[in-house]
Parts: sequence; C-alpha cells; structure tokens
Amino acid sequence: MPNRSALHQENLEKIFNPSSVAVIGANTKKGTVPFDILYSILSGEFNGLILPVSPGKKHIAGIKAFKYVTDIDDPIDLGVIVFPSTVANLALEQCGQKGVKSVIIISAGFREVGEKGAEREKQLLEIAGKYGISFIGPNCLGLINTDPAVRLNASFARQMPAAGNIGFLSQSGALCTAVLDYAHAKGIGFSKFVSFGNKADISEIDLLYYLMRDEKTRVILLYLEEVTDGRALMQAARDIREQSGKPVLAIKSGRTQEGASAAASHTGSLAGSDDICEAAFEQAGIIRCEHIEEMFNIATAFAYAPIPESNRVAIITNAGGPGVLTTDAAVRQGLQLARFSEETTKALKKALPNTANIQNPVDVIGDATADRYEAAMEAAFRDENVDGVFVILTPQSMTDIDAIALQVVEAAKKFNKPVYTSFMGETDVASGIRILQQNNIPHYILPESMAKAFSTTCHFGQLLRRKAGKTDGATPASGRLKATAILQHAAEEGFNYLQEYEAVELLKEYGLPAPEGALATSEEEAARLVQTAGFPVVMKIQSRDVMHKVDVGGVVLNIQTEAEARAAYQAIMSSVSAKLPEARIQGVYVARQIPEGEEVILGLKRDPAFGPVILFGLGGIFVEIYKDVSLRVAPLTREEAMDMVRKIKAYPLLAGARGRRPRDVGSIVDAILRLSQLAMAHPEIRELDINPLIVRDEGEGCFAADVKILIK
Amino acid sequence: MERNEIKDRVLKVIAEVLDTEASLIGEDDNFVFDLGADSMQSLQLVAGFEEEFGIEMDEDKALEVQTVGSAVDFIAQYV
Repeated sequence: MPNRSALHQENLEKIFNPSSVAVIGANTKKGTVPFDILYSILSGEFNGLILPVSPGKKHIAGIKAFKYVTDIDDPIDLGVIVFPSTVANLALEQCGQKGVKSVIIISAGFREVGEKGAEREKQLLEIAGKYGISFIGPNCLGLINTDPAVRLNASFARQMPAAGNIGFLSQSGALCTAVLDYAHAKGIGFSKFVSFGNKADISEIDLLYYLMRDEKTRVILLYLEEVTDGRALMQAARDIREQSGKPVLAIKSGRTQEGASAAASHTGSLAGSDDICEAAFEQAGIIRCEHIEEMFNIATAFAYAPIPESNRVAIITNAGGPGVLTTDAAVRQGLQLARFSEETTKALKKALPNTANIQNPVDVIGDATADRYEAAMEAAFRDENVDGVFVILTPQSMTDIDAIALQVVEAAKKFNKPVYTSFMGETDVASGIRILQQNNIPHYILPESMAKAFSTTCHFGQLLRRKAGKTDGATPASGRLKATAILQHAAEEGFNYLQEYEAVELLKEYGLPAPEGALATSEEEAARLVQTAGFPVVMKIQSRDVMHKVDVGGVVLNIQTEAEARAAYQAIMSSVSAKLPEARIQGVYVARQIPEGEEVILGLKRDPAFGPVILFGLGGIFVEIYKDVSLRVAPLTREEAMDMVRKIKAYPLLAGARGRRPRDVGSIVDAILRLSQLAMAHPEIRELDINPLIVRDEGEGCFAADVKILIK
Repeated sequence: MERNEIKDRVLKVIAEVLDTEASLIGEDDNFVFDLGADSMQSLQLVAGFEEEFGIEMDEDKALEVQTVGSAVDFIAQYV
C-alpha cells in the first residue's frame, strides 16, 4: 500500500475508537445536522469526552462549547466537521493546528455540486496532506461503532443499531438510514457502519482493509455507486479473503446505465461497463447482490452460521409441499440433496412415526412436536454426508412453534454445521422467528432465498480452500520491444489502428498463433509469395484508409493457383481504387488460408475502472447476436483462463459434444494467457479483436484468422 | 460615505442579528466560522444591511461574502 494508505490505517484507529470527539460547527437547533450529530453522540452513550465547537455559543445541551477547536486544552482524537462547506477548510486547518489527525467531514457542497465544490474539496485534500490528517467524506452521513467499549454514533441516523458482526460501508448516506431501519426490524446487528460519501481522502479500499483487521467484523457489506479503482478493489477483496477469510458482499448500482456509444470492435461492443464489473467481482470473489434484501439474506448466513464444507443439504419439514418447494429451490441453486447413511435412516425410522418420510427431504408430519424435529436434526447433523440442514416449518394447529425454534437453537449450538430455517407464514410464526433471530439462526421467508444463501456460502468456502494461482510470466524483452516499435510506427503516422500485416506481426511477437503471411506490393511479388505460403491462400488489401476491407472488395479467399493469385491481386486493386480513389494503398497481405475449425473470439478492451479486460467467446460473424462470451480482468492465472473457456455456453462444442472430436482447448488457454501478457505490456492498445480465432482438433492448435488492433 | 462609517453601521447590524457586542467583532471575522451565523442568520444579515443603508443588493453575491471586512467593501459599492 502507498504511504497515504498506511497513514489512513493508522488514523482510522482513532476515527473508529476515539477517546474524545470534537463536533466542529455544532449548534442548538434541533432537526439540523450540526445539532443532530452532537445529539446522536450523546444519546448513543459514547464512552469518551464530547467537545462541541460552536462560535457564539457558551454551551450546547448542557455541555461547555468552545469557539475554536484550538481553544480546547484536552487532546482530541476525532474531529467531526459539520460546518457549511464554505468554511469546512478553515475548520480542517484548525484541526491540523490542534494536532487532530482523524476527521469526518459530514458537510455537503463539494464535488457533488460542481466546479466550485470540487475546488473546495481539493483544498481539503491539500490541508489534510499538509498536516497528515485522514478524513472520511465529505458529503456523508458519518459512522457508527457499536463496540460496547466505544459506542460511537457520529452520524445523523435516527438510532444506534444493535451490536453484531456485520461491517457496512456505503457510498450513499440516505441508503444507510434505510438499511439501519430494515436491519432493526430484522434484528440484525452491526460491528461498524460507515457512510463514506465523496471518498475524497479515505476510500472504500482503505475502509475494507480496516475491516479486514477488525476483530468485531465477520462479514463486510459494500454499497457502491461508482467504482473508481477497480483493480485496487479486486486486490482488497482477495487480500481480505486470503488473510482473514471474510467475505465481501457488494451492491453496485447503475446496472442499466450502459453507455450507448458505438464501439469500433466486437469486444468493445460486447464488454459493457456493467458486464466488466460483474466479471471483475466474480474474479475477485466479491459476492455481488442484486438488492438490499438479498444482501442481508446472504450476510446473515455468513454472520451467524459456519461456512459449509460442501453443497449436500438435508431438508427437514412438517409438510410435504414446502419440502418439495425447498428441494426445487435447492436444486436450482446447484445444491445436492444429501443421501443419508444407513445409520441415519435407521435413526430416523426409530424416532419418527411410520407415516413420516425418512428419506431426504424428511417429512416429520404435520403433528410433529419439538422432539421429532430434534431427533431428525440430530440424525441429519451426525451424518457425514450432510453439510447443512434446512428446517422448514408450517404453522399447524398442533405445532409448538416456539419450542421447535428453541430446539433449532440448541441443535445449532451443538453441531458445527450450518442450519438455516424457514418458518413459513407471518403472524402465527412471528414469535418463533423472533427466537431464531435473537439467537442468530439464519431465517428466510422463502426457500429460494435460503437455498441461494447456502449456495453462496458454499461457493465462498470453495474459494477459501482454493490455492491462489500465479499470473503467467512476462513477455520476452525482445518481443516487447518489437511490438512497441510496431505500435509507435502506426502512432507516428497518425493512425489509430494497425494494418493487418502489422497486427499479425505484433501477435507473433507474443506467441499468438497466426498463419504465415507477408505484404506484397506488386502482382509479381504476390505471385511469388503464394508459392511460399502454400495453397490455399487468402489476399487482403492493406491501406490505412480502409477499415472495412470486405466492403470495398478488398478480400479474396480460397486462392488455389498462382494464376488465381495474379487475378485476385488485380481484382482487389481495381475494386479498391474504384470505390476509394483517394485511398493510400500499401499493398496486399498474402497469407495461408486456415483450414476449418471452431470459430471463437478473443478480445481485449481497456476499462477506465478495471484496466485491461480480456474477452473470450463463441466467434464468427454472429458473435454479437449470440453474446456467448466470458470476461476477466488481466493479468490472468492459468486457472482463470481455463475458467473463461469453460464458462461459455458453447463450451461442450469445444470439449467434443455428441461424438465430435474435442478441439484444442489447451491452445485457447495459452492464447488467452499470451493476450493477457500483451494487454499488460502495451497500454497503448485500446481495443483488440481476434475474430475468428480458428480452433483445430486437439493437438493441432488455434490460429488468428483475422485481427483488428485499435490504438490510443 | 466614508468606509469607517459604513463599518460602524455594519457592526451594529451584525451585533443585533447575532446577539453579540460590536466591540467583539473584528474585520477579519468570518460570519460563519468566527461569528457562528447559521443560514437563516445570514439571510437576516443581508436584509439588515439593505434596511440600514436603504439599498438593494444582489442576494446571491451578498451571501457569498464571507468576512466582515468584505461585507463593508461590498456595501460600499452600493452607497
């Protein structure tokens, strides 16, 4: 981490755990942010010294007020600035003079309001840099630390949430208040709760690393409206998983705001910003959630229950219908119904009436008491083939809901396997659900949500066990130099794309397979080159003024003889000259025509937030219709490249479906890794399409049949 | 009108609106940061100055004035 990030980690300690807090700009008017922040700290029963700073006021809410922060004799750990934006810089300057290193700037009126505000935000950063201050905000709701040793509610949220082990970070302040209200109703507690607003200084990345080290936090939730540094976010999520085993769940809003700008390449068109975000999150192991409810459904599973070893679940229900619904949901989410051992079946048979179903899903029957649930759970938990238990309950006249809820609580304490519950209904089951929530047992209204949460925790468990791969090695220096020279030459001539013979040459420097070929500048040379290339050949016009060769009659395929080659040369020249008389023609590219194979696409695009992104998918002329592609952020490990290939729907075609010979998948993986190296080494490449990349049978490799490289 | 006269009358208005003593107010004082004016009081100050001097000021520009000294200079343009 850079030095400023290290400083933030140090200063975040006092932002979250201060012994004294100065509320700078506080006032006496109830219902205003400057008053409410002070009131939140007071009513939250903060375990430290509270110091209001308010010019013109001698005291606020019975506490002595100071004109300036520099008038305070006591040391101040945390400054909370609530002055208007126009004077927030003066307040921050005084914090620097007083030696306050940790600050929250609640005030709005900065970057979010335009140029003047952006200038004010810049001033804050300059002051922070001068004094070694770290600040959260501006334009934020503040933060909450529920740790009983601290109890800091430095926010204008209406209430202090319960203590728990979920850390919540949000770019939106207003959403925070809604989330707190939602969580309160569900009995969900938090360890830390932060609204980071404009993230001018301390960013979500700094906060993620802080929560990684925070002992009170077991799960991290993140709400983002914009990803500023996608690569740092991905690295943070990987570090958090590898170093602390904590999951990061994220909502990234703005899915539908896809720009409609016309893309110059297939890759540019297929890799939209949200597709890239989705792929990058998956690659980094960030669990992307669609909405707040889904986020908390999954978060409570992580927060309250152990992560399952695998995906085999036992379902225990007192009604057949809900059992089937849950089975369907489990299967849809990729879970397996556990096959009970003989011992389990025997135990169930002994404990349950004859009418009960002792196979999975276990139906303990409508008149089931807590004892029957207990026996079924005990048997299921003890079975080595069971990784987790789903307990379903419907409220029937003889169902003792509270007693069964308490039995679930006892079973969860006894066994180190997850138990999730779904007490179906609302009014009748309310007290049972409350017992479950109070005892940190994950509860879901719908079986689908329960199965999704289990499947997600299960997948995360697999990631935890997977050893981190290494990105593939660097390109040989000579190849890199030659490739740079090719790119520089095109740029010096003032063009924003390479001609095909240049692009092919560049690919070859990175070991990306392309057919042998060369540039012919005369009919004679073309006739000579076809002999060397070997028939059949393909001939393509090479001109910086021709972007779409086929449209001007600039491509002839399947040339079988020297005479056909001479005729093709003439035909291309006269067609292009007729259609584009002003075009400057370099010659004709002559290359061996690649034999038939599966057509796939390999591409590269640069994303402002995530950097170089690699695309792989089903290729050919229908690529944008099928949209069967996978995306990953470079650099890639071999496992990630293999995952990209396996991820597309058409993978069975490559693997050898319905008796066909398998294609050379290994050569695709190699090509993806080489493209990843090329992407990392040449930031001047803006977009790249290899379409089609023709994949031959196993052992015969793959070849770039057409390549387009756009440069900056 | 002399600058000193404008300043004295400005201080009088500020003391009234912010409920303080004119002798405690300095030319460099920031209305918000040093004198504790909130947004409502800022509007009252603009209205008070207009009444005191019998002038009509550009309200947006007037609200951008941050210090007592700048307010004196701003009002001087109108009197």
